[in-house]
Amino acid sequence: MSTPEAAAPLLGRVGGPQITDEDLARSHDRSRVHHARRHSKRWRLLWLLVGPGILAMLGENDGPSMIAYAADGAQYGLGFFVPFIPVLFAMAFICQEMCMRVGAVTHRGYGELVLQRYGRVWGWFGAGDLTLTNLVTLVAEFVSIRVGLAYFHLGSGVAVALGLALVAFTLSGGRYWRWERIVLGMALFNGLFLVAAVLVKPHVGAIAGSFDFSPFPGGSFNTLLLLLASTIGATVTPWMIFFQQSASADKGMTPRDVKHGRYDTAAGAVLAAIFGVGALIAGAALLSHNGSGIQGFAGAGFPEAFKRVAGSAVGTVFALGLIEAGAVAILTISASTAYAAGECVGVSHSFNSSPRKAGVFYAANAGIALLAATVILIPGAPLLAIALNANVLATVLLPVSLVFMVMLANDKGLMGEWANKRSTNAIGIAVIAFVGLCGAAYGIDSFLQTIHLIGS
Amino acid sequence: MKTKAPLINDAHRSSGAHPSSTHPSSIHPSSSIQEQDLQPQERFEDELIMNLERDQFVAETSRPVPRAALSARATAGLWLLRVFVVLVSMMVIYTFVDQLH
Repeated sequence: MSTPEAAAPLLGRVGGPQITDEDLARSHDRSRVHHARRHSKRWRLLWLLVGPGILAMLGENDGPSMIAYAADGAQYGLGFFVPFIPVLFAMAFICQEMCMRVGAVTHRGYGELVLQRYGRVWGWFGAGDLTLTNLVTLVAEFVSIRVGLAYFHLGSGVAVALGLALVAFTLSGGRYWRWERIVLGMALFNGLFLVAAVLVKPHVGAIAGSFDFSPFPGGSFNTLLLLLASTIGATVTPWMIFFQQSASADKGMTPRDVKHGRYDTAAGAVLAAIFGVGALIAGAALLSHNGSGIQGFAGAGFPEAFKRVAGSAVGTVFALGLIEAGAVAILTISASTAYAAGECVGVSHSFNSSPRKAGVFYAANAGIALLAATVILIPGAPLLAIALNANVLATVLLPVSLVFMVMLANDKGLMGEWANKRSTNAIGIAVIAFVGLCGAAYGIDSFLQTIHLIGS
Repeated sequence: MKTKAPLINDAHRSSGAHPSSTHPSSIHPSSSIQEQDLQPQERFEDELIMNLERDQFVAETSRPVPRAALSARATAGLWLLRVFVVLVSMMVIYTFVDQLH
């Protein structure tokens, strides 16, 4: 049996550590894990260890993503995208598994490891760019909640109040476990998009037939590139990388839990793919109506369009789904910002710490949500431009995040025997190069369109 | 099969000793205190902390890991990444500002 030193030789060892409230809270959670493991309670163990993977994946099924899937279905139908979405989440699994593994082995977040291992420039660049990207994405999430609530004739004020109340409520417990379970419970309502897909009564034969990987259904090469790049580039986002590694460490995962961490990440990927395809199938119901009614404010017309085409139940379910998708993303993206801020400043960064002891962490978590909420209340704010450009901003950080993630997962000094194997590296580097290049291509393509060097 | 890093309480189990009878001398800062002198709350906390790996304590994770010694190839790669970041940043900022108008 290896020792912890063998697993992570560069991490310090202790003779008598100072015990903090954070340690006690984490060890309380770990005691249940050990109990379940000792008594071979397999399902209980799985229940205790799932969380960061599902949250990262379902958090990425956020409002703008679900609107994008539905828009793809409404414009292009099922043919190309039904098999494409699961492939994307399989690639996301490969990236996120590395984050989970590094977090479980080193017990440290992504931001602090990059900062300490590769220098303050990269550490602060990552945290700074992440904060900016997250702020823009959070604005898009509040917009998503607003779109969902608009179906019920509720306005921006309610969207802001709901989002901020959720952030305050989830932060109030002072425990990682409580935060994770609340957000996990909410995230399962991402399944509303699957319900919407069932309610539109899709043609089962058409769904099955779409797995023949039919060619892209039309449009210019540039449109195809932009669509692929934006979809692929948005499947793995910088906040997911920061979040899953830090959350795995905060949860108290250890190398013994890596197997369950993989189950967790795989379950998240499968659920996210199913629910994403659900949104696509629901959107495809509008195809025969030429996507009627979906034009408008960042897909604001979707719930109303569903109501007209497929009945009010579909409109209601889709609107509720958008509210859920936005709300869960607000919580997970705010958390990733808080982890990055605490890690780079070098202060306590855990849900297991009290707000008094982890002031920066809690302030960053609530502060960025508050800032995004404020933006959507500004009259005349360019919300559509902000929502559409959230992914463009992420393209700067995404390749950088992916490169450092692979470097960390290969760092034998940190990871010991848990470092990437050659086969993992081959698959991982190929996927990461592909995702990174697509993200970068998306950013460059957007720039070239802006300066009119290529057409849209 | 890959071996697992042993947990602290697993180590106690494998040595046949009850955790609470061995941990004060191994991980609690007040190692000279006899177990019978501990208050119930302290004992409870001591038992709890035995569920963490040693490098999982906040005191340990707060200690920075050393800077990585990068090969010349890796250093060159990171410089290329910096150039990429500067170039793409300018493009993205231009695109973002343009579309705000």
